[in-house]
Amino acid sequence: MPTPAAFFRLEGVLVQRPPALAAGWLAANAQHVRGRVSRLASVAAAAPFSLGLGDAATGSRLTWMGLRGMSEDRLEVLGEEYWATWLAEGLRPAGVDLVQRAKKEGFAVVLLSDHIAPIARHALQAVKADHLIANRPELRNGRATGRLVDPVVARFGGRPLRDFAAANDLDLSAARAYGSTAADQVLLSALPWPCAVYPDRGLRRVARDLDWPVVEGA
Amino acid sequence: MIDVATDMSGKHLVVTGFTGFLAKVYVAMLLEHVPDIGRITLLVRPRSKRLGALARVERQLDTSPVFRRLRALHGAHLGRWLGERLDVLDADIERPLCGLDTAALERLASADLMLHCAGLTDFQPDPLRALAVNVAGAVHAADVAHHLGIPHVHVSTCYVAGAVSGDIPEALSLGVSPNGTAFDPDTEVRALQLACRRGDARSSATARIDVALERAERLGWVNIYTYTKGLAEHLVAADGVTIVRPSIVECARTFPFAGWNEGLNTAGPLAWLISTAFRRLPTSADHRFDIIPVDDVARGLATISAAALRGQGEGVFQLASSDINPLRFGRTVELTGLAMRRWARKGGGTGLDQGLLRHLDPVPANTPGPLSVPRLRRWAKAARDWVRDVELPEVVEEAVGDGWREPLQARLDDGHTQLTRIDAMLKLYKPFIEDHDYVFCTDRVRALQATSGPFVCDVEHIDWRSYWVDVEYPGLRTWCMPVMHGDKPPRDPPSIPPLSLQRPEHLQRVASK
Repeated sequence: MPTPAAFFRLEGVLVQRPPALAAGWLAANAQHVRGRVSRLASVAAAAPFSLGLGDAATGSRLTWMGLRGMSEDRLEVLGEEYWATWLAEGLRPAGVDLVQRAKKEGFAVVLLSDHIAPIARHALQAVKADHLIANRPELRNGRATGRLVDPVVARFGGRPLRDFAAANDLDLSAARAYGSTAADQVLLSALPWPCAVYPDRGLRRVARDLDWPVVEGA
Repeated sequence: MIDVATDMSGKHLVVTGFTGFLAKVYVAMLLEHVPDIGRITLLVRPRSKRLGALARVERQLDTSPVFRRLRALHGAHLGRWLGERLDVLDADIERPLCGLDTAALERLASADLMLHCAGLTDFQPDPLRALAVNVAGAVHAADVAHHLGIPHVHVSTCYVAGAVSGDIPEALSLGVSPNGTAFDPDTEVRALQLACRRGDARSSATARIDVALERAERLGWVNIYTYTKGLAEHLVAADGVTIVRPSIVECARTFPFAGWNEGLNTAGPLAWLISTAFRRLPTSADHRFDIIPVDDVARGLATISAAALRGQGEGVFQLASSDINPLRFGRTVELTGLAMRRWARKGGGTGLDQGLLRHLDPVPANTPGPLSVPRLRRWAKAARDWVRDVELPEVVEEAVGDGWREPLQARLDDGHTQLTRIDAMLKLYKPFIEDHDYVFCTDRVRALQATSGPFVCDVEHIDWRSYWVDVEYPGLRTWCMPVMHGDKPPRDPPSIPPLSLQRPEHLQRVASK
């Protein structure tokens, strides 16, 4: 029998720092010092997208393009360091509380993240979620090509969402969705029980218009 | 397929080199996983009158971390439990029949297998010492096995392959050196002995090393260690002899516990070097760095020993990773940088390590860059000479005094000495990390071993990232790098009262001269 699912957007709901900062940090820690500047420039080029201008999926692709040539070893080890240093201590209490409640009520918890999997994987372990949908850097011969494997998570919904639910035996008919930014509207609108957590201005307005519940604190 | 536990059950093994890195793990593993083994007799050299062979063994059993598991398992009864399984004989592998007298040899009458692990592993030891231990010692151990009429397992090294690249088969062409020169090993040993006793070599170890290196290189070996180990192989190889060649033996994966290491291994100095301000390791990034965890070597060795007991162990076996799961130097250098970074983040090292060095990753460099060691050495020397000789203008001299000169000169001297040492070390490592790309074939042991159980040497599935960052580097930091800084590696506190082997009366120790 399919398990009811609860989808949580990592960024905003559970952590505050945007993925662009993670990409910048990884770029600044490339193996060769001379490659760090060009990688940072590549991440900076995606800044307008991070501010909500332009297509979010394109923004994600541009953001992580700076990883090109970095080894899988580096992404994995630094991913763990980035999580431990910048994200683990700052988990947002309301988000963690909602995850725990969902688990207690028998929901399969799915984390969605614009971060790359080597970072987001640690969130999965930290909140004991069941599934992770995160951006995956494409690798060739153990090195990142600079591209992301499709589908890019930025606007996750529609067919990829249904395919994921079918593959993991999840029930979407009573599914919950928790998002934090206007970009999460696609996901929140696709599921029957949407909820805005620490919403930004755009999502707060949508939540008010559509009468979605809003959670601001633990 | 070999079942080590069944094949070793009730058997009597004779082992040399117990106080070394590998044999300890091998013996501890057999004792733990084959508790009904008949007997293991350890041939150990007494260090002094006060510290005899038995005392050395008891000290190892009592304080070496390798035996933690056995100590936890048997508690206060360990002395008696071990006494029923271990025997210790005073021996000296540099002497004929390992210095065992008739009575001692009689004690070994029930032996089923001889395993010779003892050896000198320095790359550039005094050749006379290397001849005595690595060559004569191997021959004497083989003589003991021959005298007892039992199979003989001789532990060598993959790097007897010499100055070659490419596939290295599990085979030995008797009387043919690595570069294809036909030679007689007995004559070569005698020639080397003579050369070491002529001219400057009589009184100077450095001159002896030069003489030995010249002979080694003429035959295609890259240093005195591989030269003497290679000669030993040619001398002991005979019908029925088993030669086991491990590659670079490094920190344990799981047994006795993750990260355990002892002494100075090959990776230790390299890892130390690229954890310092030295950021460019001269190496070929695509070449294979053939390392194998010590517990996997012990597993493979146990399987091969069991095969030898069955009469299926003849010939050469290689225990290595380069053919089935290669780790390359480029990756090793990067992983070392990442591991150092994690270590410093968790509070290891100095402020310099934590604040700066961990953010500057080491890189493999196959061309000498502007900061290559020889160049830095020259600069340090030039700077030292300048500081010594410079005459500052009177005004400046009056303002700063002369107190700056000596401390600065001392620092530059120190830097120059360090760089000279590093340069010498890199020259020793050059054949392995830069010149040659070895691929050691390991089909034979894989064909023998079981698919599961405690003796599976599962090199194929080692996750190098996890091994290097979580196991090897922290292991080197704990067990190896203190030795490089002149400190003693940690040991377990001795038990109270100290552990002693309580042997049944019929197995009293025989001391021999």
